[in-house]
Amino acid sequence: MGRKVYDVCVIGSGAAGGTLSAHLAQMGVDVVVLEGGPKINTRTAFNTHAMPFDFASRHIPTMRPGVAGFDSERTRGVGGKTMTWNAVAWRFGHRDFKGRSIDGAGEDWPIDYPDLAPYYDRVEREVGVCGNADHLEDLPDGIFLPPVPFKCSDEIIRRGAKKLGVRVIHVRKATRSVASATRPACHFCGNCMAGCDVVAKYNSADVHMIPALKTGHLTIVHDAVAYEIPVSDENRVTGVRYLNRTTQAEGEIYARNVVVACACVQSVALLLMSRSRLYPAGLANSSGALGRHFIPHFTGGVECFLTDLIGKPTTDDEGFLDHAYIPSFMHERKRDYARSFGIQFNYQNRRAVGWARSMPGFGKAYKASVKQRYPAFLTFSPYGEMLPNPQSFIDLDPDKKDAWGLPLARRHVAWKENDRKIFADMTRWSLAILKSAGAEIHEVSEEPRTNHELGGCRMGTDPRRSVVNADCRTHDVPNLYVVDGSVFPSASEKNPTLTIMALAARLASYLGESLRKGEA
Amino acid sequence: MENRRDTLKIIGAIGATCAFPFSADELYAQHAHTVPTTAPANAAGPYHPKFLNGTEFETVSIVADLIIPPTDTPGATAAGVPAYIDTVLDANSEYQHRFRTGLKWLDNTALKRFGKPFRQLDERSQVEILTPLSEAVDKGDARSEGEIFFRAMKSLTADGYYTSRIGLVDELQYKGNTVLAAFPPCKHPEHRE
Repeated sequence: MGRKVYDVCVIGSGAAGGTLSAHLAQMGVDVVVLEGGPKINTRTAFNTHAMPFDFASRHIPTMRPGVAGFDSERTRGVGGKTMTWNAVAWRFGHRDFKGRSIDGAGEDWPIDYPDLAPYYDRVEREVGVCGNADHLEDLPDGIFLPPVPFKCSDEIIRRGAKKLGVRVIHVRKATRSVASATRPACHFCGNCMAGCDVVAKYNSADVHMIPALKTGHLTIVHDAVAYEIPVSDENRVTGVRYLNRTTQAEGEIYARNVVVACACVQSVALLLMSRSRLYPAGLANSSGALGRHFIPHFTGGVECFLTDLIGKPTTDDEGFLDHAYIPSFMHERKRDYARSFGIQFNYQNRRAVGWARSMPGFGKAYKASVKQRYPAFLTFSPYGEMLPNPQSFIDLDPDKKDAWGLPLARRHVAWKENDRKIFADMTRWSLAILKSAGAEIHEVSEEPRTNHELGGCRMGTDPRRSVVNADCRTHDVPNLYVVDGSVFPSASEKNPTLTIMALAARLASYLGESLRKGEA
Repeated sequence: MENRRDTLKIIGAIGATCAFPFSADELYAQHAHTVPTTAPANAAGPYHPKFLNGTEFETVSIVADLIIPPTDTPGATAAGVPAYIDTVLDANSEYQHRFRTGLKWLDNTALKRFGKPFRQLDERSQVEILTPLSEAVDKGDARSEGEIFFRAMKSLTADGYYTSRIGLVDELQYKGNTVLAAFPPCKHPEHRE
């Protein structure tokens, strides 16, 4: 029995792995996707439409009873985080790629907007992004399905923001606002992040990988927890070693090229775990840069009540969570920090009423006051760009192991002066816009929290200061690639997924072409 | 190292099946988002507390109804809040201590001031004991056993009530989780720029 050697093995099946593997299969490349979690039937696996009172704990579990999936960071399932993402889909602009050249802080990407533009086009066509062409300098327009109307509360915010010269735009999401041949239009049930069981919202399994199975060139190996990428004495990776998720049985996949696409932290962890004679500090880590330059977004938050809506009748307005967005507006304003922030808002659904805890008093007056404010509740969640610093990195826990005996990844984050300044300013602006919109402020987050994990395998031209090159190929090993949020040298303030998918599409094109020419 | 080929599942062969072989209309028709009619946490029949003892459960029920009383909609106890609180306490040792000492503090205070345990007082006296606790919590200055208990009690009462069918649907008039053919735009000119 000759052992099967695939052209490409992709580890991870989320936004990056799904896009990449589907594109490669369509080009006739023999590709295998390794996923730590189980196969997920999107239609039946999730508690999509549950209400909290269906459960004694009032906590809605992600999966239905007895259905595996989303058990751990390593084993979410085929589709990865795209199953439960909120689907916000921005393009990055020139300023996001070349921040250092513009303001001297952080790091430039080795590529610029025109390098990715055709891949953004392709991905948007495939996934279906609704949105409005806003003609903004820092947020390039794309190929859009019609935008979804604003909620009443969005109109009120827009009115308030306009008084301060701040623009509110329609959100852009990889959710269909009109049906396609295979996917229905969104029906605004507000359950996007609970797993969209009709796939109006993009997920990589149903939209990219399952259709690509038809090519006969795509193999999906699920329940396979990758733990090592072996490297030969000739400095080439040979495939992936894994443990079965449930039986812990060992297995190995052989491939001519390996792409790590496990989402930022897990990609770094897998490379750090893959120690060898050639790479004692982790695979592709001759620079020591692996795990460094960890730059997750930081977010703050303001909870408020819009006075225009206090005491008004409730409406069915959960929609597809947030319908509007405040794009970065600080670039043209005077400020004492580098980079910027954008504001997501109104993405709470109305089944979570945690704010009632901190309404004052008790008794009839308290009950009435919660009821009056319920239709008026709104949250602001600004996202800021973090600059890399030496105290922010990912490493492996020397002691703690997971269910497979593999070391847990640790995140170390320290916010520095520039980050603190952005945090203070985005909170100040949030309050100003909300007050201008006539809001009663309820609570303000005092400390930043991380979201959208980025960095750790950053892309660059200098092999001593970065892990992969502009093509997502590791500087150290010629047949090893990384594509996900970990390759971002700078974070922008914009949600990263569409850019991750565009990078994966670009890598597919590069790898497919190299294989065709016999170079990979 | 054993090479377990049987764990390698090749599913390419079934790939020709379309994941969603329904038109959008069919999908909507079969996709009724009815709110389930059974609610385990609110199920009829007596609840048997797992953590709290009988008198503690009684006191918790009284305090819960003082925080969220029955009005034109039922209050906390009718919404199953004491059972919810007991369920949370049963799984949370930190809360257990806070409640045990807090409930003792309530009774000691009631005995000292009115000569009876808290649950036997009239509502006016009960409110009199709770009011300064609530004021301290609202100031963000809960320090004493009683104040710390009240903060936890109010949080769990709010959580339990507003995640119940009575609290969320009947009281707050939650209207979401439905199928909309289109999202209705704002029809209020006064909300506009």
